[in-house]
Amino acid sequence: MEFLQTSLDGILFGSAYALLALGFSLIFGIMKRINLAYGSSLLLGSAIAVWVNEHIGLGPLGLFLVTITAAALVNIYVERLCFCPHVGKTGVTASMIASFAIWMQLDEISSQLLPQRTHEFPGIEIGSVEIFNLYLRGDQILNLWIAIIAISALFLILRCTRFGLLLRASADNPETAKLLGANVSRIGIVTFAIAGFLGGTSAFLILSSDGHVTPLFGLWSTIKGLVAMMLGGVGSLVGAVLGGLLLGFLEAHTTNLFGAEYRDISTFGILFLVLILRPGGLMGVAHYRTDRLAHERI
Amino acid sequence: MSVYLASILTNMALISFLALSAYLVLVVGEISFGQQAFFGIGAYVTATATVIFDAPVGLALLLSALCAGLAALLLAALTLRLSGLYFAIASLCFAELFRLSLLQIRLPLELDGRMTGPDGPEGFSNIRWIFDNNIEVVDFLSLTLACLGTLLMLLFVLERTQVMFCARLVGKDNILAQSVGVRPNLYRMCFICASGIVAGFGGALFALFNTHIEPQMFGVMLGVHALAYSIIGGLGAPIGPLIGVAIDIGLLESIRALSAYRMIVFGGLVAVLLIVFPEGLINPRFVNRVRNRTRPNVRVPQYLDWIWRHECSQGFLNPATSGRQGWPDRRKWQR
Repeated sequence: MEFLQTSLDGILFGSAYALLALGFSLIFGIMKRINLAYGSSLLLGSAIAVWVNEHIGLGPLGLFLVTITAAALVNIYVERLCFCPHVGKTGVTASMIASFAIWMQLDEISSQLLPQRTHEFPGIEIGSVEIFNLYLRGDQILNLWIAIIAISALFLILRCTRFGLLLRASADNPETAKLLGANVSRIGIVTFAIAGFLGGTSAFLILSSDGHVTPLFGLWSTIKGLVAMMLGGVGSLVGAVLGGLLLGFLEAHTTNLFGAEYRDISTFGILFLVLILRPGGLMGVAHYRTDRLAHERI
Repeated sequence: MSVYLASILTNMALISFLALSAYLVLVVGEISFGQQAFFGIGAYVTATATVIFDAPVGLALLLSALCAGLAALLLAALTLRLSGLYFAIASLCFAELFRLSLLQIRLPLELDGRMTGPDGPEGFSNIRWIFDNNIEVVDFLSLTLACLGTLLMLLFVLERTQVMFCARLVGKDNILAQSVGVRPNLYRMCFICASGIVAGFGGALFALFNTHIEPQMFGVMLGVHALAYSIIGGLGAPIGPLIGVAIDIGLLESIRALSAYRMIVFGGLVAVLLIVFPEGLINPRFVNRVRNRTRPNVRVPQYLDWIWRHECSQGFLNPATSGRQGWPDRRKWQR
């Protein structure tokens, strides 16, 4: 019973990681680039919302709307400055380092907006549920549902709409897509805006269940999102969610067995082992092989 | 020279070691988020050797470079199959595992009435070599600069040999390198190991200079900064990473008046700089152009030189995946 309770706690806590990993996976799956500024763009979005809330006063709904709008705008800014100007193979490294520089910038702006160590993040109050002596936190169940809804919506957008087709085409081969009339630049903006809305939602949910926001949220969400994405499989949306849940599960069990100080060690240890033994992650396609790279060129 | 200026210059020189180690990994085409681990290994090994075992400082420096090199070799061997993002994340994991396990090592000692030894999050304090030998900051600066100068000279000599040439070819295009008989895995292992040695040496000097080290100093931010320095500076020549360090630390010190907003300015500046120079300031293309003016690189076989120049100017075989899109190179049509 205790094992079951720990597992459930972990999986529900992992829903927050799953939401973060989805945003990373969306950008990586489509642009084949890594956006290091993602976590801090979410931090800046929520910092703006908290700042507005302290000055004007917003209800929970207003806070949510401001968070997702600000996160989307910040993501568009990141795309314009770090990803749009860099094309081709050399662009992969350059865009990563540029997004890292913007990470620093966004973190600094956020800490200007949030001068104290912690700021209260007013959220929604949801009670716990008890089923067969198992306690489940309501806000975490909501996170899980939002993650599931987000994947379904993304899947529908990618598979069933014209925009999704354009998106996949420009991910596959931007040159050809451009020649066939797709506006690759606009597609990039819209992709980042979607990632921003998704990230804003996840930041709102995570912060409202925590109850406070600190300037360390940017680094935390970047690391956790990256780890969850790599565990699940790079570029696969279902993999990102499964990876997040698995990460939560593993963290809960190692905390239970060895104590809280070994939680991060075990997380990174497991990720390192996964990368060495099965580099594609759980659900990922292993596109790391030399022969595959050679095949792509022909 | 004031003590303040000397300590800033020493810090710049110490970070340059880390930037150069990130540069060595970038040359073979990998991105490492984990160089700070080798820096940390060097620092902790030196601290342990000089404080606990009373080793002479030269031996401690050698030992720490060796240990960091071995750790890097281990990482390279384990991640032989990985590349790109996978290698970057694997190296991040390696570095974080190192840092988090340091937090768990608690062996405090008392020597001459002072607490020392690795003590988890409190770190390793009282590394008193610099005080015991009465070394001024300026003297330490000249020691560090001498080491850095030697390293730079070695790298410049290496730059003129076929080894560096083939390594760059591996970094630019793995498959092309294989097809002309260059062994990518060998170069990868050797260069990652060398980067570990360089970082470990820098870390050793860092421990001696700082007299107190703690695991938090070797976080992700340190490694990513080092990476950013070599990307901003460019991968064309070993002087590139040093320029990156000088831009960052020099700029941060000069706009101290705007201290609250300096990261805002600096972050934006780096992003704009990368738009103008996507491969850094001293990029391989620029270096080739300078070399064309001065003298051709004659120490490598003609075919390798031709491939490298072609690869730098517009990409080989598949222009869509390598090199920057631009005006067609007229030389191609003339050939």
